[in-house]
Amino acid sequence: MSGIHLFVPMLHVRDAVGEHTRALRDLLVAEGVDCRIYIENPDPNTVHETRHYLEYEDDAIAGDVLVYQMATRSDMVAWLAGRPEPVVVNYHNITPSEYFAPWNNWIARHQALAVLELEDLAPTAALGIGVSTFDADELRRCGCPEVVVVPVANVRIPPTPPDPTTLATLRGPEGEDGPRWLSVGRLAPNKAHQDTIAALFIARATTSPEARLTIVGSPSEPAYARALRRYAAELGMHGAVTFVSGISDGALAAHYVAADVLVMLSEHEGFGVPLVEAMSHGLPVVAFAAGAVPEVVGDAGVLLEEKGPRRVAQELAALIDDPVRRESLVVAGRARPAALGLDRAGSDLVAALLGVAGRAPGVSGVPGSDVPLRPAAPLSH
Amino acid sequence: MCAREVGVTAEDSGTPEDQGDNPRSGLSADERGLLEAFDRLRPQGSLGWHFDDTVRRLLERPQFPGRPNGWAGLPADLWDRGRGTKASERVLGDVVTTVAQDLSEYTDRAVDESYQRSEDAIGELRRTVFDAVRFLAARVERLESSVDPLGMEAAEFDLPAMDASAWFDDAPTWAAARSDLPVLLGELADDGLLAALAASGTGVEGVDPRGPVVWAANAAFDVGNGKAGPATAIAEVIDYLRALPDASRGCVVLAGCVDRTDIAGKVDLIDEARRVVAPGGAMVVLVTEQSAWDASLAPVVRDLLPGRPLHPETWQAVLEQRGLRGATWHRPTSGSVHAVVSEVGR
Repeated sequence: MSGIHLFVPMLHVRDAVGEHTRALRDLLVAEGVDCRIYIENPDPNTVHETRHYLEYEDDAIAGDVLVYQMATRSDMVAWLAGRPEPVVVNYHNITPSEYFAPWNNWIARHQALAVLELEDLAPTAALGIGVSTFDADELRRCGCPEVVVVPVANVRIPPTPPDPTTLATLRGPEGEDGPRWLSVGRLAPNKAHQDTIAALFIARATTSPEARLTIVGSPSEPAYARALRRYAAELGMHGAVTFVSGISDGALAAHYVAADVLVMLSEHEGFGVPLVEAMSHGLPVVAFAAGAVPEVVGDAGVLLEEKGPRRVAQELAALIDDPVRRESLVVAGRARPAALGLDRAGSDLVAALLGVAGRAPGVSGVPGSDVPLRPAAPLSH
Repeated sequence: MCAREVGVTAEDSGTPEDQGDNPRSGLSADERGLLEAFDRLRPQGSLGWHFDDTVRRLLERPQFPGRPNGWAGLPADLWDRGRGTKASERVLGDVVTTVAQDLSEYTDRAVDESYQRSEDAIGELRRTVFDAVRFLAARVERLESSVDPLGMEAAEFDLPAMDASAWFDDAPTWAAARSDLPVLLGELADDGLLAALAASGTGVEGVDPRGPVVWAANAAFDVGNGKAGPATAIAEVIDYLRALPDASRGCVVLAGCVDRTDIAGKVDLIDEARRVVAPGGAMVVLVTEQSAWDASLAPVVRDLLPGRPLHPETWQAVLEQRGLRGATWHRPTSGSVHAVVSEVGR
């Protein structure tokens, strides 16, 4: 009996692609579909729930569908391209190599190779799934014959409640704080956190001397992360900029609830999960209109066509000082996840994959049809 | 333009220039400077960059008929070492790069001369190159760790402001010998010293790497609203001095920065200031009393800062050793900031 199996180079927790993959696995299993996650490089935190991709050669069953979660380069791609099973490319976008070139040549080359791999794999894919129109367009440009858009499956609706202890700590005593800016995203060069720090410098020197910034994100590029800390220190703001990483979903929710505004000046976003998380928590969003950001934010946030630090500081001050405008954005933001279809993203994704399974050789239908898919079974190592 | 050479004003102080594809072309000069300050922190230009670039050239060596199969790439430890080295060790990086290039060119010549040899022989040559680079990389790491094992920056610590009020009355006299040229105050200490120097009637410029300090000074002097006042800049004093022409200032007063830098940094400051001060002009070092310095800092900050104040007598010796004349120690009538005044020879 066949299944739908997920392939990802590494499975990380608290990582957009990793959490999406785990959520999709759970959804498929809940539908009674046999689903395993195969990886190239094990992560100690998730090794118990994965198998090496070459082990699939022993596990393969006629009628299987293989779903590749693509965001970076992997030896898996050449191997997948040679497999007889239908391959679905679930595309999360490849960060262009030029963002990494000044920081880490190895990753820059890795990303450049990933694009070449996408160009090789996309034309042979049974289906391409972009998590945004922006990503879907890229799949089409790379020759993917059939493309659909289904947003990420791991955005929690309703949102995770804030951790009360963290929230109390963040709020502190009443009336002693200035505006609290929040940025959420890995400390990676494409996220352009330095632009937010520069805007904070202007804001503190002009309109908001007490403004503070919290950046929540793992230091995925250590050289860049170090430079951000040093930049804040050199501007005399190391007390005004706080870096946070490795926190729970509840603690992250507390940051969303305690902040006055989410600032995202990223230059390349395939989706932008923090945007919808912030909007779900009633936090207004000010974002640079790059990549998939405009389609995710829509008219529920402030979109900037240019992000000079003075302009950003002025926009943020204007928004924070205008309660009527803030409230209208909060209302629009809370409705945004549903408008994006995030509440049904999981079921849409499962339906799309079952559709491919129904067309797979050796399978004549989806669950409930003549040839049911294999029910989930415990992993064995 | 370096970010540290500009002060950011409350209003848009610049005219957009360099219109074109550059996303920063529409920004004012001070905004561009602010963003360029971050660009300097990229490891591009460091050993990390040169090292990888050297390897890229090795990888892209043109193939020729009969050449043995290509190699699998650089050993992982060399990649990691190359990527991990800090930008501040650029000079050492350049040395390693140069040696690596020489060695790779040697390898190339050897390959050209002997491509009929077995791959084992070529492999031995590659191993020789890698061993040499590995040795040099290890030396760089050793030197780095001996200089700054923690990798912490003085800018990361909160330091108390220097109280230079004891010298407000004397400051104008320091500039008197070469009043035809402007005075440079290296780190502002507080607005009072800048005001006292401005009162001397000569042009005054104040430089400080701390944005908020410069901002406070600008606000005090109403800078940016069309009124005359001292020029200010956000910059490391040493960087600012390096950008100035020889003998272009009548007096340089160094405050704060001379206390917290290491000995090499102090000597750099003195040498650059001496170059910048015109013959006959004065160079003044304002130095915090060591006991007051120790008392003002938390033990962790005190221990981890790269340097601490020198005793004024030590400063006299250092200034004379660096070619300045008549270094004189002036004790304060109040407070804990001493002045060591010297002259640049004519």
